[in-house]
Amino acid sequence: MNDIKNRAKPFEFMQCISILKSTAKRAKNLHELRDLIATVSEESIFHHTCQYFLKGRIREYTNDFAHWVGESLEESALAEQLSSIDPYEFKNISELRTALLTVIDNYLENFPEPREALAGEEFYFNETITIVFPARIRARNLAEFLIAIRYIDGASIYYHFHEARTRLGGGIDDFSKWFDEVLGEQDLAKRLWAIDPFMHSIEGIREHIVEIVNEKVKKDMEITGVEE
Amino acid sequence: MIAKYAGIAPKGDLILLQKLGEIFREKSFLHINSTRAGGGVAEILQRMIPILRDLGIDARWEIIEGDERFFDITKKIHNALQGNFESITEEMWQYHYEVNKRNAKKLNLEADAVLIHDPQPAPLIEFKVQDYSESDIAPWLWRCHIDVSNPVQEVCDYLRRYCEKYDAAIFSVSKFARAMSIDEFIIPPSIDPLSEKNRDLTEDEIRETLEKYKIPADRPIMLQVSRFDRFKDPIGVIKAYRIVKKYNDCILVLAGSPASDDPEGEIVLNEVREYASNDPDVHILLLPPFSDRDINALQRSATVVLQKSLKEGFGLTVSEAMWKGKPVIGGATGGIPLQIVHGFTGFLVHTSEGAAFRARQFLNNPEMVKKMGERGKEYIRNNFLITRQIRDYLSVWYAIKNNEKSVLEL
Repeated sequence: MNDIKNRAKPFEFMQCISILKSTAKRAKNLHELRDLIATVSEESIFHHTCQYFLKGRIREYTNDFAHWVGESLEESALAEQLSSIDPYEFKNISELRTALLTVIDNYLENFPEPREALAGEEFYFNETITIVFPARIRARNLAEFLIAIRYIDGASIYYHFHEARTRLGGGIDDFSKWFDEVLGEQDLAKRLWAIDPFMHSIEGIREHIVEIVNEKVKKDMEITGVEE
Repeated sequence: MIAKYAGIAPKGDLILLQKLGEIFREKSFLHINSTRAGGGVAEILQRMIPILRDLGIDARWEIIEGDERFFDITKKIHNALQGNFESITEEMWQYHYEVNKRNAKKLNLEADAVLIHDPQPAPLIEFKVQDYSESDIAPWLWRCHIDVSNPVQEVCDYLRRYCEKYDAAIFSVSKFARAMSIDEFIIPPSIDPLSEKNRDLTEDEIRETLEKYKIPADRPIMLQVSRFDRFKDPIGVIKAYRIVKKYNDCILVLAGSPASDDPEGEIVLNEVREYASNDPDVHILLLPPFSDRDINALQRSATVVLQKSLKEGFGLTVSEAMWKGKPVIGGATGGIPLQIVHGFTGFLVHTSEGAAFRARQFLNNPEMVKKMGERGKEYIRNNFLITRQIRDYLSVWYAIKNNEKSVLEL
């Protein structure tokens, strides 16, 4: 049954690039950051939070706002709180924006006069235009998927593992969805779904996926029972 | 030509370039700047135009011509945009416009997309061929390669009259973008991994350069490649070297090209020579133009590469060294922090003492150097190769044609 499904719907790897666009808006202190977070476009909020993971490696923070607050304003407590906001937890950018503002407002109530960033270290609000295109790689089964995932560009992993969470909603990624809905591999989908995107770089996520799928492919190849 | 980048540039970039090449096949893409040779813009265009043509795009490169007076004025405009006080009179602006008008009569400005580089040819927008293409948008883009984060305001405002007539502007770094009424894209510059400055070299080629410049290969080399310019802080580099020298025997090489268009260059060079005070282990090299292979060899033979700038446009020498697997110690200014991820692909420093400390770490920890160098090379591969820059230019063109929707699927 699974074989028929596999033939019907292979996994088409896509990938994306982002073209950075300046909003020409900049903040030099926390009050200005707060006011601009309240008014900038949704694309800008998306870029500074969700697309942070496209940078390709795990850093001390999990979004650009936390990074700037921690590094340029040296407000470590607020940086920690902003970093703990999971952008994929929200139904839409509007809710995410509210969460960012709530954390900053609470902080400003206790510390109303935070320091200013040095000249040249202001926060620059950007947004992006995303271009999505086929990576020209297709996997028809788990074994092909395993080969592909080892060599695909990191931007493809970002698109299917991170960006999909916003596109599909509910914390679902494209890989788990394909395992579940097309291959009927619910356990594999669950194991993949359990990889925390916050805790790994894109390369770390690649390693985890390879490990999980490799284990499954090896197990499927093993001949069990006693041969006659 | 593009096939040569397979296995070097990220696969996705090459796929997208091919796709965009199909979309813009036989469309004309005109680049205009003010010099055919010398400087980073000419260097990148020399490499970029053949690649665009190989993709099937009818890429052209034209230059505007001007006399000494014109280039004196544009040099002043350039300096003012970088924050040095210069007064540009109405008469000077008028001459800037008139020279562009004369060039507009000679040049064929008809193209499906036009990219004007830097302020010298910016007034050409006044001579845009209206309705060149009836069925399509033929965007005119202004590409600013210089650091305009802290300009002389009057000069910036005057230039804005031209800039805002373009369909969009492109800057290298977010903080260079100004509040304008047009869209502003951020596209960092890039290096070409196949150019003479960056291609792989043999051991013999590297040795040849060291012998040519009488640089001993028996001790580790600390290197800074840059013009002799106070903003590059060559004196600060010597200070750092002197601190390091107390702990590790090493050689310092300061390599730069003669700055014929920069009257201050010679003064700074003399200051540097005097400060080095005949230390036999400090090698101050005045490289002739077209010394790309020698620069390549020096970068490959160095153990510690510095770019200790105090102010910097982008600082592509950082990417050049990182592409060769060398982690770089760089001043935290301009585009350098975009290239160096502190503690991961190199170190950002603010003082000579900081540079010396990081240099000692490199000299005493080859494993760390190796690991950072490998990460740095990958970082450059993914972010600062010429294929990415061409991809971005074509993507901006495509985005403008598609009314800049936030997500575009090819």
